Amino acid sequence: MSDPLCTVVIDGRPVQVSPGMSVAAAMMSTGLRAWRTTRHGQAPRGLFCGIGACFDCLVMLNGEPNVRACLVTVEPGDAITTQGGATND
Amino acid sequence: MTELAAECDVLVIGAGAAGLSAAYEAAADGNRVVVIDANARPGGQYHRRGVKDPPYFPAGTTDAQRWANIATYMGWQAYAADLDGDLVVVRLRGDERHRNDLHAVSTRVLVVATGAVDRQLAIPGWQRPGVMAGGGAQSLIKGSGVLPGRRTLVTGTGPFLLAVTAAIVQAGGEVAAVIEANQPRRLIRHAAQLMPTGLMKSGEALKFAAILARHRIPYLTGHRVTEIHGAEDDAAVASAVVHRVDEQWRPIEGSARTFEVDCVTLGFGFTAQLDLLMQLDCEAVQSADGGLAVCVDDNQMTSVPRVLAAGETTGVGGVDLAAVEGRIAGIQACHLLRTDGQRTQPDSKVMTGLYRRRGHLRRFAKALALSFPTPTAWVAEQTGDTMVCRCEEVSLTTVLEARDDLGATDARAIKLLTRAGMGWCQGRMCSYTVEGLCPGPTSVASQKAAANRPIGVPIPLGAVAKQGRA
Amino acid sequence: MPSGQNYDAIVIGAGVVGACCAHYLAEAGLCVGVVDRGSVAAGTTGAGEGNILVSDKEPGAELDLALLSQRLWTELIDVIGSACELEAKGGIAVGYDPSTFEHLQQFAAKQRDSGVIATEVTGGDLLALEPHLNPEVAGAIYYPQDMQTQPMLAAAHLIARGVRVGRITLHTNTDVVGIRQGDGGAVTGVETARETLWAPIVVNAAGTWGGQIAAMAGVEVPILPRRGFILVTEPLPTTVHRKVYSAQYVANVASDEASLQTAAVVEGTESGTILIGASRERVGFDRTRDWSIVSTLAAQALQLFPVLEKVALMRTYGGFRPYCPDHMPVIGPDARVPGLLHACGHEGAGVGLAAATGHVIAQSVMGQTTSIDLQPFAAERFGALHV
Ligand SMILES: Cc1cc2nc3c(=O)[nH]c(=O)nc-3n(C[C@H](O)[C@H](O)[C@H](O)COP(=O)(O)OP(=O)(O)OC[C@H]3O[C@@H](n4cnc5c(N)ncnc54)[C@H](O)[C@@H]3O)c2cc1C
Ligand SMILES: Cc1cc2nc3c(=O)[nH]c(=O)nc-3n(C[C@H](O)[C@H](O)[C@H](O)COP(=O)(O)OP(=O)(O)OC[C@H]3O[C@@H](n4cnc5c(N)ncnc54)[C@H](O)[C@@H]3O)c2cc1C
Repeated sequence: MSDPLCTVVIDGRPVQVSPGMSVAAAMMSTGLRAWRTTRHGQAPRGLFCGIGACFDCLVMLNGEPNVRACLVTVEPGDAITTQGGATND
Repeated sequence: MTELAAECDVLVIGAGAAGLSAAYEAAADGNRVVVIDANARPGGQYHRRGVKDPPYFPAGTTDAQRWANIATYMGWQAYAADLDGDLVVVRLRGDERHRNDLHAVSTRVLVVATGAVDRQLAIPGWQRPGVMAGGGAQSLIKGSGVLPGRRTLVTGTGPFLLAVTAAIVQAGGEVAAVIEANQPRRLIRHAAQLMPTGLMKSGEALKFAAILARHRIPYLTGHRVTEIHGAEDDAAVASAVVHRVDEQWRPIEGSARTFEVDCVTLGFGFTAQLDLLMQLDCEAVQSADGGLAVCVDDNQMTSVPRVLAAGETTGVGGVDLAAVEGRIAGIQACHLLRTDGQRTQPDSKVMTGLYRRRGHLRRFAKALALSFPTPTAWVAEQTGDTMVCRCEEVSLTTVLEARDDLGATDARAIKLLTRAGMGWCQGRMCSYTVEGLCPGPTSVASQKAAANRPIGVPIPLGAVAKQGRA
Repeated sequence: MPSGQNYDAIVIGAGVVGACCAHYLAEAGLCVGVVDRGSVAAGTTGAGEGNILVSDKEPGAELDLALLSQRLWTELIDVIGSACELEAKGGIAVGYDPSTFEHLQQFAAKQRDSGVIATEVTGGDLLALEPHLNPEVAGAIYYPQDMQTQPMLAAAHLIARGVRVGRITLHTNTDVVGIRQGDGGAVTGVETARETLWAPIVVNAAGTWGGQIAAMAGVEVPILPRRGFILVTEPLPTTVHRKVYSAQYVANVASDEASLQTAAVVEGTESGTILIGASRERVGFDRTRDWSIVSTLAAQALQLFPVLEKVALMRTYGGFRPYCPDHMPVIGPDARVPGLLHACGHEGAGVGLAAATGHVIAQSVMGQTTSIDLQPFAAERFGALHV
């Protein structure tokens, strides 16, 4: 990973990540392990299946909720926001 | 990106080993071939970093021009397939940044090569952050170069645990131990079937053995992770309890040991992704690993005309088998499209070779599946608050109540009465557990019902509504 | 003595109607066997919604049955309420333009004479009831009596309760293949793929398959499938508070058209998902899906609730409503076969009508005067002959 780093904003905090990473990987590279809570138990969730099947890693990306963080590659300037379980506005 | 085609001769869903091999062969007669994959890069689950050259073909046997003629569209997920007269219509949704983009492709021949996902079983604490599917950890490392944790316990069953371990240590991570639930003596029972291909693969095995030795990683067979703990209720992983288990994976009392880790990977084989094939009502069978697989004939044709399948969808067997099946499917796709005798006929020597290789690899896969079975009776004996369905947060107690007190006799009824399998993942994570909790042996009909998801991926209502007007 | 178990009554079908029949028969003191070829709620009960409506019915025998049922469901809250998401949430019938609103008002006026509570609501009052409703609609009628339940849970819990108190025995995965008849054609039990179950009373609660059960006893009951699809969204915080539907829905329910009809019915559920129904078409037992239905339902739902635009559709499901040519269920003893009672053919209202159906079936079995005259529901009304 020798490519120059790119900057994304995670919960308002600018961080440098490698381009080509998934949004989930970007968050994990900053030490985050969970970025969403569940609807009933308000329990934290992060990356589980890693390939788009389990929907545990849902995150708010540029204002759009419920994005599967494992399936999107970061783009410079992305605003990534942790989210509650049944967000939709 | 070029405009996505609305029609083609051969549509391949999945750009993994199977799909890419199929596409290359299918393009032989100048057929218009389109490949679709939900990922950003082609290569499937094995080649996470993408593929540069035509893979899976002996050097010098591929033709760059033919590759250039194959239209590959990444970042599209097929969510539905339906028959329409002599055509098959496949509906696609854009990637996570383009969820409102919907598109339909009509094709004369469809090849479904959608691969598999890690198979899971509910274990106390498996919903904690820091627990990951083995394949998921693998793809995080291979795809993004990020480790799933600082110190990982690799658990489950099958040789894939060693691949996960290798990936972690090669990326600079630490593996506390590899916890294999089955006993290696099972391998001996199936030695005859494992032999020819096993020898080919023994290089790989030696490489793994060397990695375990060099990093002093304990490899505990006949052991299973039984509890995953965190500092508090919902906290991330802090430790995991491992027990010695019997053949049915029941923990042996007094054998508990605890590993301090911040990551646990779980992997109990794989589940084929059959959404599209079940929507098309293709016949399916239970394969040796207990999972559902679509039925195909010698030429990878399913029970539905013009629909072919290759790779993990026909039974989990790994990347080499996927590639061979893909080639056969691609050749057959050409054959189905051929109307005049003028065009290229498959070389019978090539075909015989492919059939033979497929036969070896299938026998090997079957023997592996029998050597590393995944029993489920123990699941019901775990603590009642074990979370069966991660999405709807349905506990084991709730599922057992539905079964024992409310008259639910199959997975569908359990789902209707408990919501297990009704959430975001549509049962992809919990269906093997729920099947295992149903009374009696799992029927193909029940597995087919569980695998039949009418819509493969969530689509915004606004986009769905507009589609009607188009 | 022939082998097999003896019951006072056997109910064929463990759907919501069969469960209610079994419940009230058990409450009357009978020992009841419930037989289903699948699991509980294996049929249409597991494939529909759970609205308990008075709002969509014209004055007449069916509305009377619905009003009785609505009262009985309220009582059932005490029996199984919290377990089956039974909720008196009320319904709202929406008229988009002044003329459909006027039409709704006239319909409501007629219903009021039969005891239906129906209030006209417009403007701010309407938005207070349903904050996310399209503010441009002309007006609506609010029906506070409309309720909702989760029908599979209702069926399962009613049966489970009877099992717990020792009055009901549940035979799942048991296919009924014949009706046993003795002297004068009187029923003596049912033949299953495994064994014979004996009882002098057999209740046909086989829903869409009720005609097949009737045929086993040598009589014809014309029940046909009317297909319906439902869309299910991702789980949301409460966005739709009541059951909301467009005026067109009422017309479709009563329609005789075989071709496809759709009219949005939008409701939230306790689990957070929103259900969007409902299509109606007569295509036999064909499960082939039609994407135009999906997109039409989505478009109609957005017309009622534009706020759902970005909400994700997660899945669809569907089933076959048991329908009779005159859209009325078949309820009560079959005069042609002593001991055989029918409780089937409830079309799109089987959940709503189940409680009253079970209640009158039990009254009839116990030789009591039924709360409602069963004449309009009699199997013989079709003038069918013995087959
Ligand atoms: C997460 C994971 C990691 C794995 N890692 C390894 C490994 O490191 N080594 C190894 O030997 N084996 C690995 N495997 C096993 C793997 O299944 C096989 O080795 C091999 O990749 C199978 O090839 P395939 O072509 O059948 O499927 P895959 O390689 O899985 O390819 C299927 C492709 O289809 C795409 N797809 C699926 N559904 C849709 C859809 N509806 N619409 C559009 N595209 C779709 C997927 O994005 C994927 O790219 C892994 C499996 C998983 C699930
Ligand atoms: C899309 C849709 C939406 C709906 N929405 C509503 C609504 O909001 N409100 C409402 O009130 N109604 C609604 N309905 C209608 C409602 O679902 C039905 O009217 C109701 O479920 C019928 O219940 P039942 O018990 O009569 O039939 P079922 O639930 O079908 O039960 C009949 C049972 O009989 C069993 N059976 C059949 N043959 C045999 C045999 N030979 N041996 C043994 N067992 C047998 C079947 O397995 C089945 O379990 C809807 C229906 C659909 C399709």
